[in-house]
Amino acid sequence: MFEGGIASNVVNPSNQFDDRFLELIEAYALGSLDPEELAAVAAHLATGCDECNQALAESRCLVSQLAYLAPESAPSAMLRRRVMQTVRTELAAAKVQASSVLAGTKSAISLWMWAAVAAALLFAFYNAYQANSLQTRIHKMQELLSAQIKLQHESARQLALAEREAIILTNPESLKITLAADNKHFPALQAAWHQELGIVVSGQGLPAVARKRTLQLWLIPKTPGAKPLPSLTLQPDAEGKVDLLVGAPPDSQGATKALAITEEPEGGSPQPTSKPIWVGTIARK
Amino acid sequence: MFLAVFASSNSGQVSPDATLVQRLLQRDVSAFEQLYDRHSRNVYSLVLRILRQASTAEEVVQDIFLQLWRNAAQYDGSRGPFVPWLLTLARNRALDQLRLKSERQRRREDQTEELPQLVASPDFEGSLDEKRRATRVRELMAALNPQQKRAIELAYFEGLSHTEIANALNEPLGTVKSWIRNGLLCLKEGLQATS
Repeated sequence: MFEGGIASNVVNPSNQFDDRFLELIEAYALGSLDPEELAAVAAHLATGCDECNQALAESRCLVSQLAYLAPESAPSAMLRRRVMQTVRTELAAAKVQASSVLAGTKSAISLWMWAAVAAALLFAFYNAYQANSLQTRIHKMQELLSAQIKLQHESARQLALAEREAIILTNPESLKITLAADNKHFPALQAAWHQELGIVVSGQGLPAVARKRTLQLWLIPKTPGAKPLPSLTLQPDAEGKVDLLVGAPPDSQGATKALAITEEPEGGSPQPTSKPIWVGTIARK
Repeated sequence: MFLAVFASSNSGQVSPDATLVQRLLQRDVSAFEQLYDRHSRNVYSLVLRILRQASTAEEVVQDIFLQLWRNAAQYDGSRGPFVPWLLTLARNRALDQLRLKSERQRRREDQTEELPQLVASPDFEGSLDEKRRATRVRELMAALNPQQKRAIELAYFEGLSHTEIANALNEPLGTVKSWIRNGLLCLKEGLQATS
């Protein structure tokens, strides 16, 4: 039949008529060719060989006749009903779909109605968008106003503190205290203590405090052996200025012997952890 | 030529099946019913012979006829008679189902969605009526060597290749090839002689 020459035909399936291919056409139509022969014949047919393609058409007809070798059997009546039911259902569904499309094109009023509904929906969406936008703007304005009020309050507080400091510093009843530095390169600080309004400590030209360190004010009690009382912390600004207001000192003028400032860890300490850098003795008038 | 068997019917007359298929394109349920009634027995017999299980065979037959209803345009009456096309479709569907079950590798050309190319438009229905043709095919095949007939049946109903048939029958490959080719030629000549 075709043994020996199949490989070359697979590679080069000529479109010229070839008896070797023609001999395989019946088996090709029957589907009994082995893979190599099948590929060779398929490739040859694909070249458009008229004789082989006509032979294939005849062979398919011939092969189909083998169906009559099957013993005669009848499908169930149920199968017929099932098939017909499916067909009728599909047809009805197709008709319904077609009529819906038709109804859609004929009903101009319906179309206008839908257009009106769509326009109303668009208007509603636009209004909702505008309302939302307005609400957002109001919310932002409220936030801005709130920030302004807070700022105003802070300014008022700062102003009040400044006024208080000014009173403490200028009031004749305030005690003036000079806090001398233990280092000759450090400037002395000035403090004013009003019995009711508190203590103000100020100065300039201070050295920068180390990172994560702070200065802290202490009240040194008159009572012998009593521990220093911790007060507020203070940080020189970039120019070395300090300005501290202690509105509620931890003790009274009468019970305090001196004011002292030490360097402490950030946040302050309950007890001094280093020697005082500045000390000022309270001299009663 | 084998197609000359059908020459008498190739005189411009349109076959009843071709007319019915044309009506199918117009979604004519009545035409579909007639086609089903005309061919469902042959289709079912073939599918059942291949699958050997009635319930599965009915499912496949249902698919075949629904495919015909949904895609009637796949059949082109000008390119060949309807019955061989339908039987080819049925065989391919059944063998696909069989292979799906047995996970056997597909070796046969896929003709499921393809219309057999019948350039001369032979008309089986006009040449021999179906019962006579079935009888004649059985007679011609019965006249073959039993092993030869068996080889053709294994190829047609089981979808086996030459090599698989040779192994199944314990015969040389070349012998099997000759049996099949000669058996088909006998069938062809017998049908030509009948006409």
